[in-house]
Amino acid sequence: MSQPIERNKSVEEYIKNHEWWWAAEKTRSERLDYLRKGIWKKGAIGGLYAPGVKVDLERAELHTQKAKELEFSPDPYVIKFAKMIAHVLDNKTIFITDHSQLVGYTGSLPNTIAWDPSCASILNDEVYNDPTAIPEPVEKNQKIIEDVNAYWAGKTDLDKMMPSFDIEDLMKMLSGSIGWGVPLARGGYSNKDYEYIMTGKRAFQDIIDEINQKLDDADEEIHKPGASKEIALMYDKINNWDAMIITLEAGIRIAKRYARLAKIIAENFEEDPKRKKELLKIAETCDRVPEKIPRNLQESFQYDIFIQMISRTEAIEGAWPSRPDYYHGPYYDKDVNIDKTLTKEQALDLVGEFMIRAAEVCQFKPKWSREGLQGIDGTWVWTMGGVKKDGTDACNDLTIAFMHAARLVRVANPTFAFRWHPKVKDDVMKEIFECLKHGLGYPNIRHDPILIANSMHWHGHPIEEARLWVHQACLSPCPPTKKGFQPMRMANATVNCAKIIEYVFSSGYDNIVNMQIGAETPEVTSFKDFEQFFDAWVTQMKTTFSILVRAVNRARILAPTLTPRPFLSALSERSIESGLDTCDPSIARGNAWITAFTWVENIDSLAAVKKLVFDEQKYTLAQLKQALDSDWNGYERMRIDFVKNAPKWGNDDDYVDNIMIRCLRAAAEFSKELKCPCGNNWPILPENVSGNIHYANIVGALPNGRRLGDALYDGGISPGPGLDKNGPTAVLNSCGKIDHITDGRAFLLNQRLSPSQLAGDKGYKLWRAYMKTWADLGIDHIQFNVVDDSTLRSAQKEPENYQEVIVRVAGYSAHFVDISRKTQDNIIQRTVQGL
Amino acid sequence: MQICSNCKSYFPLEEDNKKGDCVRRVIDRRQAYYLSKIVKSEAISCSYFQEKK
Repeated sequence: MSQPIERNKSVEEYIKNHEWWWAAEKTRSERLDYLRKGIWKKGAIGGLYAPGVKVDLERAELHTQKAKELEFSPDPYVIKFAKMIAHVLDNKTIFITDHSQLVGYTGSLPNTIAWDPSCASILNDEVYNDPTAIPEPVEKNQKIIEDVNAYWAGKTDLDKMMPSFDIEDLMKMLSGSIGWGVPLARGGYSNKDYEYIMTGKRAFQDIIDEINQKLDDADEEIHKPGASKEIALMYDKINNWDAMIITLEAGIRIAKRYARLAKIIAENFEEDPKRKKELLKIAETCDRVPEKIPRNLQESFQYDIFIQMISRTEAIEGAWPSRPDYYHGPYYDKDVNIDKTLTKEQALDLVGEFMIRAAEVCQFKPKWSREGLQGIDGTWVWTMGGVKKDGTDACNDLTIAFMHAARLVRVANPTFAFRWHPKVKDDVMKEIFECLKHGLGYPNIRHDPILIANSMHWHGHPIEEARLWVHQACLSPCPPTKKGFQPMRMANATVNCAKIIEYVFSSGYDNIVNMQIGAETPEVTSFKDFEQFFDAWVTQMKTTFSILVRAVNRARILAPTLTPRPFLSALSERSIESGLDTCDPSIARGNAWITAFTWVENIDSLAAVKKLVFDEQKYTLAQLKQALDSDWNGYERMRIDFVKNAPKWGNDDDYVDNIMIRCLRAAAEFSKELKCPCGNNWPILPENVSGNIHYANIVGALPNGRRLGDALYDGGISPGPGLDKNGPTAVLNSCGKIDHITDGRAFLLNQRLSPSQLAGDKGYKLWRAYMKTWADLGIDHIQFNVVDDSTLRSAQKEPENYQEVIVRVAGYSAHFVDISRKTQDNIIQRTVQGL
Repeated sequence: MQICSNCKSYFPLEEDNKKGDCVRRVIDRRQAYYLSKIVKSEAISCSYFQEKK
């Protein structure tokens, strides 16, 4: 039986023992401590929601109630949909947590998960079949779910869109073998036009005024003598503008509901004068924003939360593109440094709470999504640092405050991604280092000059826009600008790339799901040399990429009419200007990317085939195929040969590294042939979330020695766990051979460092030297786990004592105890690099 | 009569006197909070009914 951990040590002792989580608990303010411990953890554990966390039926019922009421109304769909969203906002239960200064949540109660029944029937079925998440009394509530589902059957976004897809592509995608996700505009990663709405120039009422002007002009235009195509199309624009106003006004109203609640509590229930004052401040804040532009840091954070909350009422958003230090920084500076209306400590409370509010957010997701994002609800990767539009350093005091707050509240979601550039000051780098040393696994570090050039190269973003980029999801840069921001997750084209090499051996037949998915390339045993083998690989790569991209492109074309986003459009300059839905490809530049899960398996497998089959002729392709078909059973000695005697990526070995470059360049070349509906390219972006575990039972045996069921590599361009044997510089040298501007959109690199080696000034200097090599090699990304094996193994044995240990899984962080045993083992298996 | 408008938790809306906020204190396993639901003034009250004094 495990012993309860000693909890009465001093902060210094905890720090000395690298028990950062207990040190944080003792260091943070009482408010942050209360709010942090008050979080209902929403990330799924082993694919299931935690005990006590329940599906929010209220939203589903409100949405359905309004949909039924409007079913036979003559309103166009976009207006009906806007009214449904407004009805939910006007009637949902709202709450204000004790000690909080910021308000707003997607569900009706702190322990609920918002469920949007209008997105997909397959999602609704999962709600019905997930008794652990159905609130008590289960039987009664199951009946409610049944009724809701019955209404939406055949009417959800996905149901409406399915007949318009290529059915063969759709079946291949929905097989779950090669893709991850469904192509829905209201389900995915929505960037926002922050340059339009977060720069203090306008808030909701200003936008309503702008739209009203547009409506007046349109009215005048359509009633003049004459007729034209433009006038005929104007009626659709008017509907879109009207729908935008409906959602904006509903957004203002729900904020005023929070204001009223705060005032009621202050005047009728609260006895503590200090808390009364805080509640009245909340009332004043919510009365002000989002209707009018923020005036201070609290209003600015609150404005942002309302935007996120309403947008997440309109759609299931799986990411949180954001650059909070950049957009909220001026308010921090004003309050803390200029007006001195806030002390640094008071501001830190707000910053920490802003993170906590985001950490709580959750929307019901299907099980495959929960398994792929173990421990978190979505990838809330907040962008920090970087440069301003003019190229000067954008880091500010709020950048540092966020790093400080992260170490105090220690949430696993949101995490930060720091845009490094040569002008970043040492005090900022020290703060980042502290976060890494404290074992948060974030920020990850991005190479700003490389990624700005990359954004210009792949998508033609002008330099002033490219410099403003935020993470649209884990890694993908996207400018939050009028033409640049991408409103939907075009990366539904997430490819389980290990299938590419698998299909070379099966001529495209998928033996796991028993259907022809890939190309019918020639029988593998017929290949006479590596070039023929590689050609088949290229054909399979092109085929799988195309299946998924075609489906997403189709969804993007259908989105404005079938699945409109009136609220997101209302926040978008291009939609206000044009009257078109923000997903309309004609008004966007495009920023699509193919997420390449399980990519490096291809490289190590190709290298093994080249060396052991074609160069050394130790085995024939027929023998290898037989071994793979047998899942290596009966071929253990041969398997060990393929594991140990074939070169592996990440060891600065040109033999295999050149294969990586060759594969990437073949994909990059094809990326320019794959076009999105905006006319732009589809570059690849190798990374995994927890896809390496999710796909373990879907990918068959591979020539790198992997068996069906073994965890796949942890992704991106990270070497296979434990296979990088030549030290950290060799890993960087391998990765540095890739052109991080032209070979793909971004490349994830996981590294593990030893906590003891990073101690003190010496540790910082070692890390800076390592980071200099990384920067000099032009590698676009790197992220670190700085937790030792003994802590992780103890956490496996006594999880109750290590609830707060955080690890970097892939493009996101999670609490170690919330991820599956297989993922835990995979992280422990990663090589700890000695610097 | 046990209708929402006669309950201690009921706070009428200024813009619509037929509706109001039902404001209640809740303490769950992790946090304490006040919630507000929109209710109709004439609705038959619930198990939380406490007569206004």
